[in-house]
Amino acid sequence: MRMTRTAPGAVRIPAIVRPAARHVWPTLLKITTAVVVLVWLFPVYWIVLTSLKPVREINSKVPVFRFSPTLDNYRDLFVRFGFAKVLTNSIVVTVVSSLVVMVIAILAAYALARMRVPGEKHVALWILSLRFIPVIAVGIPFYLEWQQLQLLDTWLGLILVYIAFNLPFAIWLLRGFLGDVPFELDEAALLDGLSRLQIIRKIVLPVALPGIASTAIFTFVFTWNEYLMALLLTSVDAVTVPVTIAKFIMPYTILWGDLSAAVVIQLVPMLIVVFLLQRHIVRGMTLGAVK
Amino acid sequence: MALSLQGVEKVYSTGFKALNSLCLEVGNGEFFTLLGPSGCGKTTTLRIIAGLETPSKGKVFIGGRDCTHTHPRNRDVAMVFQSYALYPHMSVRENLVLNLRVRRLAQSEIDQRLREVSRMLGIEQLLMHKPGQLSGGQRQRVALGRSLIRRPNIFLMDEPLSNLDLKLRERTRTELKKLHERLQITTVYVTHDQAEALVLSDRIGIMNGGDLMQVGTPQEIYERPSSTFVAKFVGSPSINLLPVTARDSEGGLMLCLGRDGLDIGETALPATQEVLVQARKTDRLVLGIRPESVALRHAPAPGTIPAVIEIVEPMGSVNHLIIRFDGMAEPTIDGEPFVAVVRSNERFERGAVVWLTLRPDRLVLFDAATGMALAALSDAGTWRCV
Ligand SMILES: Nc1ncnc2c1ncn2[C@@H]1O[C@H](COP(=O)(O)OP(=O)(O)OP(=O)(O)O)[C@@H](O)[C@H]1O
Ligand SMILES: [Mg+2]
Repeated sequence: MRMTRTAPGAVRIPAIVRPAARHVWPTLLKITTAVVVLVWLFPVYWIVLTSLKPVREINSKVPVFRFSPTLDNYRDLFVRFGFAKVLTNSIVVTVVSSLVVMVIAILAAYALARMRVPGEKHVALWILSLRFIPVIAVGIPFYLEWQQLQLLDTWLGLILVYIAFNLPFAIWLLRGFLGDVPFELDEAALLDGLSRLQIIRKIVLPVALPGIASTAIFTFVFTWNEYLMALLLTSVDAVTVPVTIAKFIMPYTILWGDLSAAVVIQLVPMLIVVFLLQRHIVRGMTLGAVK
Repeated sequence: MALSLQGVEKVYSTGFKALNSLCLEVGNGEFFTLLGPSGCGKTTTLRIIAGLETPSKGKVFIGGRDCTHTHPRNRDVAMVFQSYALYPHMSVRENLVLNLRVRRLAQSEIDQRLREVSRMLGIEQLLMHKPGQLSGGQRQRVALGRSLIRRPNIFLMDEPLSNLDLKLRERTRTELKKLHERLQITTVYVTHDQAEALVLSDRIGIMNGGDLMQVGTPQEIYERPSSTFVAKFVGSPSINLLPVTARDSEGGLMLCLGRDGLDIGETALPATQEVLVQARKTDRLVLGIRPESVALRHAPAPGTIPAVIEIVEPMGSVNHLIIRFDGMAEPTIDGEPFVAVVRSNERFERGAVVWLTLRPDRLVLFDAATGMALAALSDAGTWRCV
């Protein structure tokens, strides 16, 4: 009995190999994921580390991992470079333009998704083609126009430009998301006595929230990180964070300490926005609306 | 409120004509049911009444007022959608009371109606749930509740009970009837279920391909269908349509079944002069006979027709018998089997030879060419024109 159990190896080997093979792939996948995440996160880690280092250690030939952290770079940033104003500029410009973009885009997308709009067949292409234009191609004309209108280096000047840049894409995205909301919900609400605007606010918006959150993130991140137009259209009063960060790279030196502190500060609002909104980017909101 | 559709036509943007010059009057407080096969335009009709579609032609009157172009919000019409259309982000309670909130009803009134409706539909336990957490039947009840709670000018219901199980459907049906009797709100109801239509309705409209074929009380429709389509559509098991030829016989009408010259009944039945004139014009007629109007005997008698029982389908209190005639491959004009209904305590076995007579009630004569009814046999036993 015992002999027959141990002798035929051919029977036993698959029995051992199979469960092992089942573990190999998930493990490999986990390792790969970990490696990719590490590669992506390392620069962030390094920037955060650098922003907390005393200037002497930043510039040391051998990378230093053990040091006494200091907020000197941050203090320097705010005291010497007036970063508070820059940060305010960025926040005002981004928040105001994103809000305006979302309000207009939601109304426009609703109209496109739900109502007969003359020439609506061509609107999508027209909207997207605006997005295809290289920013630099319109930069100089904008500069000249803004000069005439005295909008250079003002919040309003930047806000208008960002609205113009973001609106087409936001409308295009939202049109798809709002189009996914079942038609009959609008009709039921109409019969329940809601006006069009009430329907948008109370029915369509909550149901399409995941799509709206995604669109808001796109708009916010694009504006917050935009560099080229901000560089062209601002000089002193309305400079934004990305433009200021670039200025730390000087002809003869790079102010690594200030630069990395500014980068960390620039990262924070994006993380906040993404964490706040990602909660809503869940699928299945329309579940149960119709059969 | 009374409702009136006058010559309403609907051509969709695809060019498809869904409604064909529809004329319909629904009285104040009436329960009117639209019955018809899938795609015949029932939902389209409801949507036009609600104002969700504008008719391509014709007018809609609500309470005597021309509402053809009135905004849906201002019609005070409640609709139960075929697809429910519940608001997925709102709880059942919020779904139910949205309209009352919009109309700023007092909170006490809202609570009272909410209690009443949720008790009636058995959804008290579900008020905090989201529609996504409900079963199909529960969703349907919420959709129904959202309309019932409003007490509007007009109720529109698009197959509101189709997803409920039989027992619940019958219970809700009864509740609906009670509610309608109490509130007396004009209702236009769409269903596939004849039993529902017969139980609930004051009057029924039968639709086919965008046309309203016949409007009448359930009894009228059942006993005096205006065409073979209506006759076939109402009643279960459906009516037997037999090809017959007719000839005069001493002031009456002698009907000969099929080509074999079999008499129906022992004597020819009396008919009005009008019927005789009509019958002489066409040589091909169709006799409609309800399965429950077929009487079966075990022994031959004068004027009976011999037949064989092919299949016995027990249905509980009654049995459906599928019957074959000797020498007639296809007894009915539409190739359907000939069906008789007998009480299940009457013993008819499969394969048995029986002799059948047609009870002279609920018989209808149609013109075979047009399918339109010529005459019906009234209670007095005389063929009269319809
Ligand atoms: N928006 C539309 N555009 C084009 N054709 C449509 C539209 N809505 C409905 N139809 C067509 O009109 C006809 C009637 O549709 P309707 O929805 O009124 O049918 P119904 O009687 O309610 O059928 P069912 O019992 O299956 O619900 C159908 O043939 C349908 O294909
Ligand atoms: Mg329908």
